[in-house]
Amino acid sequence: MKSATAPLDKPQAKRNYVKRLAADVKRDWDLYALLVPGILFLLLFKYAPMYGITIAFKDFNIFDGYDASPWVGWKHFAKLFSSPDFLHVFQNTVILSFLKIGILFPLPILIALLLNELRRMLFKRAIQTVIYLPHFLSWVIVSGLFIDLLSSNGGLVNKAMAMIGLEPISFFLDNSVFRGVLITSAGWKETGWSTIVYLAAFATIDPGLYEAAKIDGAGRMKQLWHITLPGIAPIILLMFILRLGSILEAGTEQILVMYNPTVYKVSDVIGTYVYRMGLGNQDYSFTTAVGVFESVIAFTLVLAGNALSRKYLQRGIW
Amino acid sequence: MKKGSWLAIVLVLAIALAACGNNSAPAPGSGSGGDGEGNPNLTMLMQYSLFDPNADPVAKNIEEATGYKVTYEMLPAESSDEKLNLMVANKQNFDIMKLGSAQFYKLATAGALEPLNDLIDSQGPNIKAAIKEDSWESVTIDGKIYAIPETGSGISVGEELVVRQDWMDELGLKHPTTPDELYEVLKAIKKAKNIVPLTGTKDSIYGDIAAAFGVLNDWNDVDGKLLHKAELPQMKEFLTYMNKLYSEGLLDSEMPINTSAKAIEKFSSGNAAMIKLAWWSASSGEAALVKNFPEAKIGIIPYLVGKDGKSSIGVNLATTWFIAIPKISKHKEHAIKLLDTKLKKDIFIKLAIGEEGVHHEVKDGKYYPILPKFNDDLTNASSYMTGVNEYDYPAYWQARVRKDPVLQSYYEAFQENAAKGNIVVDPMSIAPPIDAVSKNKQKLTKLLDDTVLMYIAGAQSIDSYDTFLTQWMAEGGAESVKEANEWYQTISK
Amino acid sequence: MTVKTSFSEKLFNFCNYLFFILVGLTTLLPFVNLIAKSFSSEAAVISGKVNLLPIGFQTGTYMYVLKDSMFLNSLKNSILLAIVGTALGLFLTTITAYPLSRVQLRGRKWFLLMFIFTMLFSGGLIPTYLLMQNIGLVNQFPVLFLPAAINVFNMLIIKNYFEGLPDGLEESAKLDGASNIRVLFSIVLPLSLPVLATIALFFAVAFWNDYFTSMIYITNQDFKPLQLYLKELLVSSSSEFLKDNVDAALNTTPQSIQAASILLATLPILMVYPFLQKYFVKGVLVGSVKG
Repeated sequence: MKSATAPLDKPQAKRNYVKRLAADVKRDWDLYALLVPGILFLLLFKYAPMYGITIAFKDFNIFDGYDASPWVGWKHFAKLFSSPDFLHVFQNTVILSFLKIGILFPLPILIALLLNELRRMLFKRAIQTVIYLPHFLSWVIVSGLFIDLLSSNGGLVNKAMAMIGLEPISFFLDNSVFRGVLITSAGWKETGWSTIVYLAAFATIDPGLYEAAKIDGAGRMKQLWHITLPGIAPIILLMFILRLGSILEAGTEQILVMYNPTVYKVSDVIGTYVYRMGLGNQDYSFTTAVGVFESVIAFTLVLAGNALSRKYLQRGIW
Repeated sequence: MKKGSWLAIVLVLAIALAACGNNSAPAPGSGSGGDGEGNPNLTMLMQYSLFDPNADPVAKNIEEATGYKVTYEMLPAESSDEKLNLMVANKQNFDIMKLGSAQFYKLATAGALEPLNDLIDSQGPNIKAAIKEDSWESVTIDGKIYAIPETGSGISVGEELVVRQDWMDELGLKHPTTPDELYEVLKAIKKAKNIVPLTGTKDSIYGDIAAAFGVLNDWNDVDGKLLHKAELPQMKEFLTYMNKLYSEGLLDSEMPINTSAKAIEKFSSGNAAMIKLAWWSASSGEAALVKNFPEAKIGIIPYLVGKDGKSSIGVNLATTWFIAIPKISKHKEHAIKLLDTKLKKDIFIKLAIGEEGVHHEVKDGKYYPILPKFNDDLTNASSYMTGVNEYDYPAYWQARVRKDPVLQSYYEAFQENAAKGNIVVDPMSIAPPIDAVSKNKQKLTKLLDDTVLMYIAGAQSIDSYDTFLTQWMAEGGAESVKEANEWYQTISK
Repeated sequence: MTVKTSFSEKLFNFCNYLFFILVGLTTLLPFVNLIAKSFSSEAAVISGKVNLLPIGFQTGTYMYVLKDSMFLNSLKNSILLAIVGTALGLFLTTITAYPLSRVQLRGRKWFLLMFIFTMLFSGGLIPTYLLMQNIGLVNQFPVLFLPAAINVFNMLIIKNYFEGLPDGLEESAKLDGASNIRVLFSIVLPLSLPVLATIALFFAVAFWNDYFTSMIYITNQDFKPLQLYLKELLVSSSSEFLKDNVDAALNTTPQSIQAASILLATLPILMVYPFLQKYFVKGVLVGSVKG
């Protein structure tokens, strides 16, 4: 592509770096111009407040203001890491996150692939519309639904279990199954919504490829494996690397609504723990320190994920 | 009596001023601009409630009655502390703020609030007349008054155990009077009806049963010392008892996840026989029950008696709202004048329960609402209150309860039952803001409630209670107890 | 399509349809339940009797909500927000994504890192609030869509899509002397309808569902969007909110009205998706890639 636009350059001139740069910029000046508004927005709304990160290294008192608050170094990080519950809470976060990535990340891809195999357009569209409905219910409502469904006192699931002779389970109060409840409800709520991005990606696959495969006698499974999946691989990769960026966010909003003291042991994550410890005394410095810790881990993982992907799959986000 | 004479003077003063006020107040509708023109537009921050504060009839009433145009802003329903901090830290201008106790304490100690002593002395005769001496304690820090205290509706209890009376009659059971009898009744119901008889919610663990064990209030006077309920030896007995109910299937196993709506659902659908009901939910709850079981009747179980053979009920009379003037206000004198005018006797009643014959009527010395006018004009009046006349308001306020006969009957029955026992007021009700207590309260309450639920549900063995108590102490309990007692010693002499 | 379907394929089809019927039901039933509740008498809702059909049918709840000026005003705000926000967001995000999808762009990697960095690090609420106040956005309608107009996640999806378009298209246009911007608008964008529809949907839904921004920045009743209204309605009826507030407890919103409000607050945005679905069809690239 570079060579195609190269005629703008003077081949006989000595190609030093600045010149090449100037030439490239000149060639692509309109691309840079397109970038300007986005970067301005980014600088104003995202980078201008970025100094707030340093609150993590101060004893910030919101009423004294930023400048008047003293620097305290790593104090708040030390507090986080030395807190007796930190290890336990960190462990829960990572376990839940891995479960969610392991189970809930592939699920929308699978559903999208299966949806793609539906041949009746009307049915397909109806299903697409219906399965994304739960995304619009807030966690409070979803939690209420699951409490009703899983109640040990007349809930549908326990009734069904009783019919086949199983002991009733208090799903919301039982440490051995509560994580399952969290994963299932998160899957129910978001899977349909998450398929959309893959469904849109199917549209980019050249139908000619399928025709050719059919002529070659490839079955449905073969087409799926050799055409459809590779067709959406880039977007899968993108979504996966970005998903790594929220590894320490195991669903605080969901857990805060759904958990209760009897299952803290398996569901108390960094977000919920910090929330409870901060009740009534907004410790902005500590909260920011926790946020910075999460961000650093997330950023490292995204960088690593991208690097690995470039090395082994020859493509990444950048 | 010193107090009496002071009161008399204030009353005379108040009546005199009220009379004056009456004369000078602009007649509604008669070009009210006349008097109000010199008054600046004031802004007031209020707590969240579901209505548009600038479009409500109460706002217009206040403007007519006081001559001040007030612009209202509400804190959000969630993250309200966050928003308040942001607004104050960024110097957003308010003239009056209605704050919760934690919010008040934080702003007062941060130096964001104006000390009001002088202003009230010079501009606030009605304020002084309306508020009892004890209440001022709660807003005084280091001798300076930082807010006008707004207390609630007086001594009243909210919840009591109720039972399916039709089942009790059918089974020939009498109302239990002690925890042991309660246990037997629950067992009998469980056996006969094959349900989990008692349901409960995560938000209302204490009260009734706990009180019978002596776990009354957050803070309790034991031999002249303040003990937090977490430290009471009776706490363990209470938890052991509740755990027994829980493990024997007499107490709803889903108590740790029940909201009050869920508990009422179980009761009104016949899946539970007994529930701790709040009188404000009684009306809809009873309607739902009777709809499902036309023959169903609800019986109110009198407060259980403890070991001493008497029933005790804990109540908290602490100031609920704190009406402060921020330092940043440019109209402090006007703000205090507005607050003072709102507490003028005749204006106060008008703003609280409207005009007699239009919004309310008086029968046998009790106030009754006239519907629907009362609801149309005054539903949200409480949100606009900035301090109440502590002598009159409890009586006025009951007009709100009498909006609905079912509500009223439960409210009155609960109060009557409570009056038969010992009403024990939380001694901290009259405390000034105490640093360690204010700072740790929310966190410690959550920690205690969470752990208590674990003990009740048997997720942890009661044997470990002392270990928990050590943790509770370490996370701020110890300093709270220490500072609370330091204050208590100063007043108990 | 005349290829004979084998037995295993038939079986697969059958299972697939059955699977989606079940999945569809599990996602649909809660909404049917909400609809039933919203048309039921409060007594029936309170005692949890309402399942899929209304009990004690009434429509008063809808009358109530639709007459509430706060509801109507916030509905208007949300529709406006979704339209303006989506238009601006889509435009800004697209023109940012395009240059970043061009491999030849110098500094591309650094620009991308600069964008991605903001997905993972943020200055936090306090400096952001200060900024909003300094530029006069607090309690102003634009605060609801301006800061969210550039969305890195959406930008990456568009960029990813642009990168997947065949190189040939652009090259032939360039040979004809078209500028980069010309290529974007006359060649790339028409081929990108599926992704543009997706991102439009993402923006619209995000603006529709966002209550946090308005909760923090908007106290003026006139600018509150629907989700904030809904949040306030639900929070102010929650037992935690009412715990120490008897006066509020006396005025709680009946559960049937809550159900009606949830439905009315969700319906408008639900209608967007079926409308956008037609852009998700296969074969947009057919005919554009020749040879």
